[in-house]
Amino acid sequence: MASVTFEHVRKDFGTTTVVHDFDLQVADGELVVLVGGSGCGKSTILRMLAGLESVTRGTVRIGERDVTQLPPRERDVAMVFQDYALYPHLTARENISLGLRLRKLAKAEIERRVSWAGEILELEPLLDRKPKQMSGGQRQRVAMGRAMVREPAVFLFDEPLSNLDAHLRGQMRHEIARMQRRVGTTTLYVTHDQVEAMTLADRLVVLEGGRVQQVGCPVDVYRAPANRFVAGFIGTPPMNFLDGRLERERDSMVFVSDVLRIPLPPELRPDPTPDSDTAVTLGVRPEDLALARGPSTADDPGPGSVRGQLVLTEVLGAHTHLHVEVGDRRLIAAVSSGSLPGPGQEVVLSMDPRRLHLFAADGSPLRPGSHEQNTDAQELGPEFEP
Amino acid sequence: MKRAAFYFLLALAAATFLYPFLWMAATSLKPPGEVGGLSLIPDQPTLENYRLMWARAPFGRALFNSLFVATTITFSVLVFGSAAAYALARLSFPGRRALNILTVAVLLVPAQLTLIPMYTLIVQLGWVDSYAALIVPFAFNATAILILRQFFLQVPRSLMDAARLDGMGELRILYTVFWPLAKAPLATVGILTFMGAWNEVLWPLLVVRDEQLMTLPQLLTVFSLGGGAGPRALATKLAATMVMVVPVVAAYAFLQRYFIESMASTGTKG
Repeated sequence: MASVTFEHVRKDFGTTTVVHDFDLQVADGELVVLVGGSGCGKSTILRMLAGLESVTRGTVRIGERDVTQLPPRERDVAMVFQDYALYPHLTARENISLGLRLRKLAKAEIERRVSWAGEILELEPLLDRKPKQMSGGQRQRVAMGRAMVREPAVFLFDEPLSNLDAHLRGQMRHEIARMQRRVGTTTLYVTHDQVEAMTLADRLVVLEGGRVQQVGCPVDVYRAPANRFVAGFIGTPPMNFLDGRLERERDSMVFVSDVLRIPLPPELRPDPTPDSDTAVTLGVRPEDLALARGPSTADDPGPGSVRGQLVLTEVLGAHTHLHVEVGDRRLIAAVSSGSLPGPGQEVVLSMDPRRLHLFAADGSPLRPGSHEQNTDAQELGPEFEP
Repeated sequence: MKRAAFYFLLALAAATFLYPFLWMAATSLKPPGEVGGLSLIPDQPTLENYRLMWARAPFGRALFNSLFVATTITFSVLVFGSAAAYALARLSFPGRRALNILTVAVLLVPAQLTLIPMYTLIVQLGWVDSYAALIVPFAFNATAILILRQFFLQVPRSLMDAARLDGMGELRILYTVFWPLAKAPLATVGILTFMGAWNEVLWPLLVVRDEQLMTLPQLLTVFSLGGGAGPRALATKLAATMVMVVPVVAAYAFLQRYFIESMASTGTKG
């Protein structure tokens, strides 16, 4: 086991730079998830660590060892691929043990490790089958077994669950988490699926356009996104955004847009205080929007509330997503299921001003200065319950 | 009714292909008196023609030469051809594109055109009357490279990555991961190469004069040209032809599944 360090790592493909100045320190035994949309450079970073892609500039270390120029087999890493990459002509047992045989381990030791992995991953009945005789989930477990028996310094997972159906994905997610905790190997995990990212990660690295947007533990990234991109990317359904401006009103600040007017509580006031009439974007998580009780008859729904037309309800079970058209934009509210208005009805959504996010025009967050951000009472959305 | 007519037509077509072959097999077993007939069953079957053939020319040696030359060529085309195909398909190096184009360009040059320069080369190398002259010019084959390259392009990249992480070098990846996946194209290339080498007659006639080094088709040609014209001579020549044909037919019978499969797929993929 070992730590992993990226120092100013850059990757160019021809004239295109896909990873810019990437820095990351992964502690021994830590599980770090690289998350981002397609083309953000996450898989390239993983492949550079594995030695499957050259590094244009910078240094990659595993433990104290500079591995930047080493071939894959000398790096002591094992990888699980999206398409499993099992050798089709070999049985599960042969697939798992091949790397050990090539490293000329003693036969008894190979046997021991294969049965150890077989036991952890419940593979025993499958060991003599070939990949085409197995289901997707079973193949994925064999691929994990192949990585585990190597007892590598670092595990790499490259979107290992994307080819599985939703049910199996959830199950395999638990298995990966369980396996990683049990063997305690430093792990880098790449995914575009934020549920996977949030549930598995000790720390998240959010990437966009080959640049790191934020590094932090999942809850911190969710509660205090580093910029508008992260705010919109992490969270399902995504954060709602409203463009508007900040106005000074006596000694307080008010967010004003064409559909909403909401005074900011003192603890949310940005520091330094921006000029009056500064263009900003207000962000609010779907679960921080609530359905106001009873239809408001007044034209003005009141401060901190917006009026709109309910266009779609998605019942997910305990929770329901309400799609509400407000002016020319759509807001999504995540509320408890129950007796809810039907599509076409007019509704009023209210928001708790203490749970708002403010972003400047360049996407950077307008954070409160000396005021503590009141996030302790917040709850994560239902999707992120482990 | 329509179906019956269809089968009748198929049977007729099969008969036109099969009859000459069966007649040849039958006639090689006939005594001189029966040779002129069209019957497929000899009245008095005899192996005399085979004995005579064996006694008059070194057909045993020629059979060995043919087998040795064709097998060596096939083996070499598969080993070197797949290595070249692997490099052209899956490794990145300067000049790869140019080499790919060059490989295709080789196919555009008819073999007859290179016959004389190749002959001159063999003479200058002092390889006339040697196995090297029969084998080396055919040991590398552009068609084989193209067929295999096309297949190797379809092998998922992750499989190579997994093999590299498992500790394999490129040659091991080629021969232990790609080869087992490429059974059908390898079989096609193998059969085509073996048949080509087995039937080759023009080139051996040019570079081999020593009877002990002659291949079967070459010896057969020489034997046919000089073996007399009577019914006995004809039957003996047919016996020699049978010796040449039987191994190829046997190989085809064993490998026809691969052969048809890969001929069909190379058509669409290539």
